[in-house]
Amino acid sequence: MKKINIKKYINNANVSRFRFWIQLISFFIFVYGGYFFIEIGSRLPIFSCPYVPGSPGGCYLLGVQHELNSTWHTIFSPRGISILKSLGIFLLFFIFLNKAWCGFVCPLGTLQDWITRLRKSLGFSFTRYDEMSFKRLKVIKYILLALLILIPLAINNSFFGLPKLSHSMHTPFCKICPARTILPLFNGDTSQIYIDFTDTTTIILTSLGLMVAALFLVGSFVKKRFFCFFCPMSALQFLFSKIGLLRLIKNGDKCTRCGNCSRVCDVGITEIADDILSKNIIKDDCMMCLKCVEACPEEGALKVKVLNFDIFSATEEGFFKRYGGTSKFETSNKDDVLNSNKNKDE
Amino acid sequence: MNNKIDIDRYNRVKKTTTIHYNMEVNQVLSEIIDDFPDKLNGMTYFYDRFRPIEKNKSLYPKEKKTIASMCIHVPVEIIYALGASSVRICSGAYSTDTAGADFLPAKICPLVKSTAGAIYLDMLPGNANPDLIINPTTCDQKKKIGEMEDEIGKEFYVLEVPPSKDSEEARQYWHRSVKKMVKKLESVTGNRLTRRKLKKSIKMILTAQAEYRRFMKLRRKAPVIFGKDAQLITNAYFFDNLNSWTEALATLNDELEERIAQKHHVVGPRAPRLLLTGSPSIFPNMRTHLLIEKLGGIVVYEEFCSSSRMLSDTVAVDEWFLYDMVPAVADRYLKPNTCPNFTPNDDRIRKILLAMKEYDADGIVYQTFTGCQLYDLESRKIGKELEKAGYPVLNIELDYNPKDSGQLTTRLEAFMESIKDQKRTKRKKI
Repeated sequence: MKKINIKKYINNANVSRFRFWIQLISFFIFVYGGYFFIEIGSRLPIFSCPYVPGSPGGCYLLGVQHELNSTWHTIFSPRGISILKSLGIFLLFFIFLNKAWCGFVCPLGTLQDWITRLRKSLGFSFTRYDEMSFKRLKVIKYILLALLILIPLAINNSFFGLPKLSHSMHTPFCKICPARTILPLFNGDTSQIYIDFTDTTTIILTSLGLMVAALFLVGSFVKKRFFCFFCPMSALQFLFSKIGLLRLIKNGDKCTRCGNCSRVCDVGITEIADDILSKNIIKDDCMMCLKCVEACPEEGALKVKVLNFDIFSATEEGFFKRYGGTSKFETSNKDDVLNSNKNKDE
Repeated sequence: MNNKIDIDRYNRVKKTTTIHYNMEVNQVLSEIIDDFPDKLNGMTYFYDRFRPIEKNKSLYPKEKKTIASMCIHVPVEIIYALGASSVRICSGAYSTDTAGADFLPAKICPLVKSTAGAIYLDMLPGNANPDLIINPTTCDQKKKIGEMEDEIGKEFYVLEVPPSKDSEEARQYWHRSVKKMVKKLESVTGNRLTRRKLKKSIKMILTAQAEYRRFMKLRRKAPVIFGKDAQLITNAYFFDNLNSWTEALATLNDELEERIAQKHHVVGPRAPRLLLTGSPSIFPNMRTHLLIEKLGGIVVYEEFCSSSRMLSDTVAVDEWFLYDMVPAVADRYLKPNTCPNFTPNDDRIRKILLAMKEYDADGIVYQTFTGCQLYDLESRKIGKELEKAGYPVLNIELDYNPKDSGQLTTRLEAFMESIKDQKRTKRKKI
């Protein structure tokens, strides 16, 4: 009996508030943790950027760019096993939270949510991509992912007889990544805001980095989770999202397609409402913030599962708890401006 | 109507129609109340909502504007937020149907005729005297009575509803059209839509919806209330004061909970449980419900725009500002809406199939009003899908004239007998 109550308690909970605190704590850990001798490893599935002085770990994207910065010969020698090893470590971290790493832990994601809060408190409206742009733009993260894998390889190897790339192209994504420029600021470190005048390539890449940083700040002010939509980490995670332990499951039969879920979605995924056939409803842009489950009033239409255990389900009661209207009518609001029906009846 | 003869005639028609209307209402009410001895105390409130009101009295305060709507597509949250009273004026009365037939073609849907007649004769629910009638472009027939402003003598506002709901274009169009309606309503009521007021009215309707959903949950648990009563409750939502409606429903829900605890059921376990869908039953057109339930069956769920479709779906807002609230409210009237004016409308089939399971229904009665094309056209597809899923379907056609009840009774009786037979053989097999 008690077990059921815990379940009900969770289903009625305000996960967004919980998420806010988790994000705050993880932001602190991943931006200042290093100062407290926390060490988490350098193959993390989030932007725990090593350029941040207080960072307790490293982002896997940096690792992968470093590791692939070698010749085919080394990659296919026993030393190449280390590449697989770090992929394994990345996956070990990743499968626990699946894409919830983005929604709950990533400091860059958290920062965008805070910028959204700032916008909200100023009362500005947000923007959304229309369907066509959404479909077109979502490819960018895969292109970035492909580039950040191919460019390091092309520095040491020649593709199709083309000349090798300059060595100043190493870790190309980090050079343009907004985490490198913006997150150190939280440690009071402005040293990443620079243009590297070593050669043309570095000038271009680092000034691109500054532009992306500026775009990040402006973009996330007008659009929720602006950068995540282009994030190659999100693309990489999605490739493995099927093996994640944490899952978002939809029961299409129970769905009325009311669209509550897609309208509260920060990244603007429409399939969550319109797709009634897929069971696994995690899409590449999803960050598992679970706002969709919170906004769903249909009993069990959306569920968060770990393996086969439901840990958070959409319920009618939970919906009404979170969105107003209590299931039992408590006060009649007689003084309500909307209810001045004085000469009702006789 | 400048002509004295015309005015005389109008008054005469109004007088006779009022007499007929009152007779009709009283007769149907007595059928609903007195023919079923097992009474719920909580229902008295709802029965009283439907009793005829004296000529010079009204359910709506004079200092407030009254906005009438002709379909469920009108976002009532906005009407309430602008400090106006909302009333849905779709009518089920045969007496006003004959009045509407005076200036409308004979072969159109009786609901449309009846509504037009009621507007023309000022015989709206709760004696409402609307300052504006919002006419969404749903079915062709309703659309066209909006053009008869001169004849009917009331101002209509056309709320443009897209013909489809799945595409992004339709949604954009609808959002714009709702925003335009907000502007119009602001000018009619003289109030401005503010964030606080809209939030309050969304929450107010959510409260009503929470209570309604609780009611449906109780209905699902055990047969403790007849469908005719359930239909009256949602029907009262058309014109009643929202807060008192919610309160009354809460009281009734408590009573139903007690009944469930005491196992006080209104029908036996063998009674055929039916799902009703199609053209909406609106008081006093309660024939299908009454016939089924007098014959020993029970209606467990209505997929009507006068019941579940109007109340089930909720508004979820991400950012409580007008820029997000208005589209959120608009979405509730578009995306989950299973009105057959949208194409494609597969959601309706899925909704019915789910309800069949959830409410443990044995069969479907699909009612179509004579002349109601949209429901008629959808009946075939839906019937096929349901038969594929193994449910018996009965298509009935009726209009507001109560005279053909005899033939209907025979068909319903036969349908219910066959369901009972099926249930019996099923039980034997087990």
